[in-house]
Amino acid sequence: MNIIEVQNVTKKYSNHLALDNISLSIRKGIVYGLLGPNGAGKTTLIRILNQITAPDSGTVLFNGNPLSRKDVEKIGYLPEERGLYKKMKVGEEAMYLARLKGLSKEEALERLKYWFIKFEIQNWWNKKVEELSKGMQQKLQFIITVVHRPDFLILDEPFSGLDPINTNLIRQELLELKRQGTTIIISTHNMASVEEICDEICLINKSHKILDGNLMEIKQQFKENIFSLTLSAEREIPVFPEAFSVLETSTSSNQRHYVVKVHEGGNSNQLLKFVMDYGNVLEFNEILPSMNDIFIQQVEKYNSEFKIQNP
Amino acid sequence: MNNTMLIVAREYLTRVKKKSFIILTLLVPLLLAALMVVPVLLATKGREHVNVMVVDDNEIYINNFIEDEKTSFSYRSGDIEQIKKEALAGDYDVVLYFPQSSQKVNANMYYNEEPSMYLRSELESQINNMFFDHVLQDSFHIDLDKYKTIKDLARSQITMIQIDEYGDEKESMAEMNKSIGMICGFIIYFVIFFFSGQVLRGVLEEKNNRIVEVLISSVKPIELLLGKIIGIALVGLTQFLIWIVFTLVILTGVQLAMPEKFMELSGVDKEQIMETVRDSQVVEAVNNSQMAAGDIDAGGIFAEISNYFPISFTEMILCFLFFFLTGYLMYSALFAAVGSAADNETDSTQLTMPITMPLLLTIVLVMPIADNPNGPLAFWLSIIPLTSPVAMLTRLPSGVPLWEVLLSMVLMLLFFVFVVWFAAKVYRTGILMYGKKVSWKEIWKWVRHQ
Repeated sequence: MNIIEVQNVTKKYSNHLALDNISLSIRKGIVYGLLGPNGAGKTTLIRILNQITAPDSGTVLFNGNPLSRKDVEKIGYLPEERGLYKKMKVGEEAMYLARLKGLSKEEALERLKYWFIKFEIQNWWNKKVEELSKGMQQKLQFIITVVHRPDFLILDEPFSGLDPINTNLIRQELLELKRQGTTIIISTHNMASVEEICDEICLINKSHKILDGNLMEIKQQFKENIFSLTLSAEREIPVFPEAFSVLETSTSSNQRHYVVKVHEGGNSNQLLKFVMDYGNVLEFNEILPSMNDIFIQQVEKYNSEFKIQNP
Repeated sequence: MNNTMLIVAREYLTRVKKKSFIILTLLVPLLLAALMVVPVLLATKGREHVNVMVVDDNEIYINNFIEDEKTSFSYRSGDIEQIKKEALAGDYDVVLYFPQSSQKVNANMYYNEEPSMYLRSELESQINNMFFDHVLQDSFHIDLDKYKTIKDLARSQITMIQIDEYGDEKESMAEMNKSIGMICGFIIYFVIFFFSGQVLRGVLEEKNNRIVEVLISSVKPIELLLGKIIGIALVGLTQFLIWIVFTLVILTGVQLAMPEKFMELSGVDKEQIMETVRDSQVVEAVNNSQMAAGDIDAGGIFAEISNYFPISFTEMILCFLFFFLTGYLMYSALFAAVGSAADNETDSTQLTMPITMPLLLTIVLVMPIADNPNGPLAFWLSIIPLTSPVAMLTRLPSGVPLWEVLLSMVLMLLFFVFVVWFAAKVYRTGILMYGKKVSWKEIWKWVRHQ
């Protein structure tokens, strides 16, 4: 079951095309990474999901029905540019924003209490927002984003500006929300965090979707048959058969480490058999490409094709 | 609607709780009351009974001063030092001494406690009159009684009577109306700018600290826009209400605390009005109001004041509120639109220029409008929506035909609907634009888009 279905969405601004016929779907209960270089159209897509702007053509379905005004209560949004009223008191501001999401006064108070106690920030309630440090404001902003228990959470660069401790805290909270069934979409440039928490991703470049799907499957799809192996061997392996080429070697005491690419015609078992003759295999595994590599490779490939098509 | 109410409540409460709001709200009625009370107190100060001892070495003024219930005169001659001491130690408040000299109008006044300004000017004018009579009689040998009869006859007085569309005649006090009109024009100009400026700053604040994106993921931009405008309008109305109520309370309090001073003042005013407008219908109005004032004791002085207006207090306040509200709504919506398109206050001033020009133009033209409240300039400025709040308020005290007021009001409302439509379109796009210097041409594109 998909919580979000984006169908052939196009959005044009006066002087450029922000999204060109984009379609994607997000399954319920997963963490979905929205990736792409700056200016690719991510923010426009996020704004369309938030109903801040409307697409010129195409539709967005939420739980199977066209996205409508009442759905805002089921969506939580953390924009990239964080912002709060600086002069308001923390408690009042949190209450106000929670109630704008449709919570009653009592509900809002009860849930805010829960989060304030959880984050151990009860004593901030009567402070002014401007008195808080940047990291504290980020925590407050996160609480405000999730306080109405949205089914669908849209986070734009959720970890930017956070120290390692708070990054970890927010990541734990996100995984906890996922366990409770919340669907989360994360737009980020931080590829390490994508690999850590995303189940599926979508790569957008120059207003087009160039890649989407399950993170592990994508990695498999782009793998280049490279293996890492370590053996304890007295002597070096002199020459590898033609089907293999060594990309890297290193030695520490009597452990020899190799990174080997297996060319067409060869396979991992043959490689393993070959090296076994030289010593005891301590470690043997396939190196999958990192999301970072795939990102750079795919964007560059797309851009060069784009140049050929539109010189 | 629920969201709009929440926004209204926030906009209202955060402003009303501010220290600056509380200070301004309390200070203004005190200032207003002081403005009204202090002149009264000054005018009535020393209007207690005064005993004047006159010593005239030239023997011109002996027994000639005119007494009234508050001033009595005694006359002595002899050594001024001696008389001075005895008189001031005794029952006399002041000693007026004319030394022997060619300047027979000059005198010294001796006193322990300073007498009122009123006494001094009163004595000076009496001395001038007496000296004039003295010269006429002594130097020109003119019969004073005949002269006075002629002088009494030669007192021209022009009564201004305005005839309205029903043929009713109405005493006009053009000068008074003119200044009241100008004051009203300035006040409405100030409050419109003051409160719509707050809307502009509010929009800029939300845009600058980026909270606007969080807000419009929860509410529609139009709800945010209207919530802000309505919230600040309520702040303005609250402030007016407190100002009016507090000023009335303070004035009534002062009046109750020192009733005799105000009785006296209103007594004087009534006499003056009677004198200047005798034979006119206003006498009737004054008599009516005297009766009304008798019924409601504390309201006395206000009933008195209201007699100066050709248009009633209530009508004036209702018109003021209407033009304040519509004028404010119109300008604040325009300011909000512009504020959303700008990134900071410096940029916004450039964009607001074309909007504020009509208002500035009207305030520059307030004098000519007040001078000729029914001329073509005044008429057209009070009909055109952008200038009508100030122009109409300036004209109102002089009396404006009903159809013109209604036409102006209807045009205001129609224009307001257009402005909100325009502002909503610009606002929706503008709040999401960052780092781009927007021109009016660009804004027009946003309006035409979709």
